Amino acid sequence: MRPLDESETTQVFEKLFKFTGNNLKNIVESPSHEGPDQTPGRYCFRLHKNRVYYVSESLVKRATNIKRENLVALGTNIGKFTKSGKFHLTIQALNLLAANAKHKVWLKPTSEMSFLYGNDVIKGGLGRITDNINAYDGVVVFSMSDVALGFGIAAKSTQDCRKMDPNGLVVIRQADTGEYLRNQEDL
Amino acid sequence: MGDDDQQHGGYQIDLGNLTAFDPHHQFSSVPDSREDLVKECIAHGTKLIQAVADALFNLPSTEDASGPIVSLPPPSTKLPREKPLPKPKPPTKWEVFAKKKGIQNRKKDKLVYDEQTSSWKRRHGYDRVNDDNDIPIIEAKMTDEPGVDPFAKRRSEKKQRVDKQEKNCLHNLKEASKVGALPSHVQLAATALPITGTQAAPRKVSKDELQNVAGMAATSTASGGKFDKKLAGEKPPKHDKKYRKFLPVVEGSGMGSLEKQQSDKILNKLMSKNSHEIFNVGKAVDMYNAKSDKKRRNQQGKSSSTSSKLKVKNSPYKNKPTKKSSTKGKSK
Repeated sequence: MRPLDESETTQVFEKLFKFTGNNLKNIVESPSHEGPDQTPGRYCFRLHKNRVYYVSESLVKRATNIKRENLVALGTNIGKFTKSGKFHLTIQALNLLAANAKHKVWLKPTSEMSFLYGNDVIKGGLGRITDNINAYDGVVVFSMSDVALGFGIAAKSTQDCRKMDPNGLVVIRQADTGEYLRNQEDL
Repeated sequence: MGDDDQQHGGYQIDLGNLTAFDPHHQFSSVPDSREDLVKECIAHGTKLIQAVADALFNLPSTEDASGPIVSLPPPSTKLPREKPLPKPKPPTKWEVFAKKKGIQNRKKDKLVYDEQTSSWKRRHGYDRVNDDNDIPIIEAKMTDEPGVDPFAKRRSEKKQRVDKQEKNCLHNLKEASKVGALPSHVQLAATALPITGTQAAPRKVSKDELQNVAGMAATSTASGGKFDKKLAGEKPPKHDKKYRKFLPVVEGSGMGSLEKQQSDKILNKLMSKNSHEIFNVGKAVDMYNAKSDKKRRNQQGKSSSTSSKLKVKNSPYKNKPTKKSSTKGKSK
């Protein structure tokens, strides 16, 4: 386990920024009330076996007592670095992103299942969509009852979405909660 | 027969170098332009080449598959030396001794008759005549001490003789190099000495350079020089075990100040890069305030300069909010 170095931190922050925008500040500087200490510490990012974890300070301190080989995970896994050094967000980051998302998309109940099976969102399944989304922005997908289902990349801006035909792609899926069942081994 | 140097039409032809010279050529009138001069020279040159070709075909030729072959005679023009004459080398130590004693150099045969095997063996090399290693028994003399190995003694004596010879050889070369008469193959090998004719001074290598080169040489083994025996006084290689430096995992109680700084720096960079407010809001507000103050001050100035006749008649019964504000401005 080690903290991220500069280039790695920039990569992680940039990926998060795509989804949260200026709310990134909340993620990085949010006080954490875990642990027995009175003064709340902050959350920090740690790298362990190419996976990036979002942990509170108190937890990190205690986790140093575990051997590196025996440590499996700590805090929340938000993503991992690939063999060629690129950073990908995984589904476990959903809670964090959903709380601080800048662009949201709500799905109709009929197309929820399709999304959870791993398909992209088409315009016909779109319920609501926040304004001023640009193309290729990060977007968090919710159901109509405001349950976070996953996240992805907006294929078109909000204006274009309105003009599109009902079978066009709106959101390219990157991760969904169905992955907890499909890719149990990878997580 | 003198066909090397044929006087063919007044030209001197040197077939060894395939050239022809016209020693009697004069320009009747020097042409004005360069092109005319070139033309004339080419015209005359063709005549000379024709002479060379004639001479070539006059030589006795042998037939070959690709045509007649002629062997050219040796060249007749004497070209100057490229390098200076070699200096006479000084006599070696043996030569001096031999001259003093009057020893003549006798030619030796390659094969020598060996009495023991009654056959002709070579003098030097494989299976030679008086090979030191072939002696099976050495008889002990009265002068020999017990405990001395005669074979080992012979070997050491030979080694001594060889070393002495090497020393003499080196001394002779040094004497020769003093005069400047080193044999060329030795000169090329000895890069420390300047080659005759050039004035290249030997370059002094600095301590840092030597250290650098020594380090490079030490690590250029199959395992990076890790397992080589170190000489006495050789310092260990400079590289520490760590090749990358990371921030400490836990500093104090969780996140350290360094890490906080780093993440904040990156956060700010990212935010400012993507924020669409290009102007500084605080500065804009200040500028606006200053501008409005200036405007108000100018207005008061203008109003005081006009004559009292043109001024608006102030009725004492009316409310005068303007005057109040102007006084406010003046007090500022």
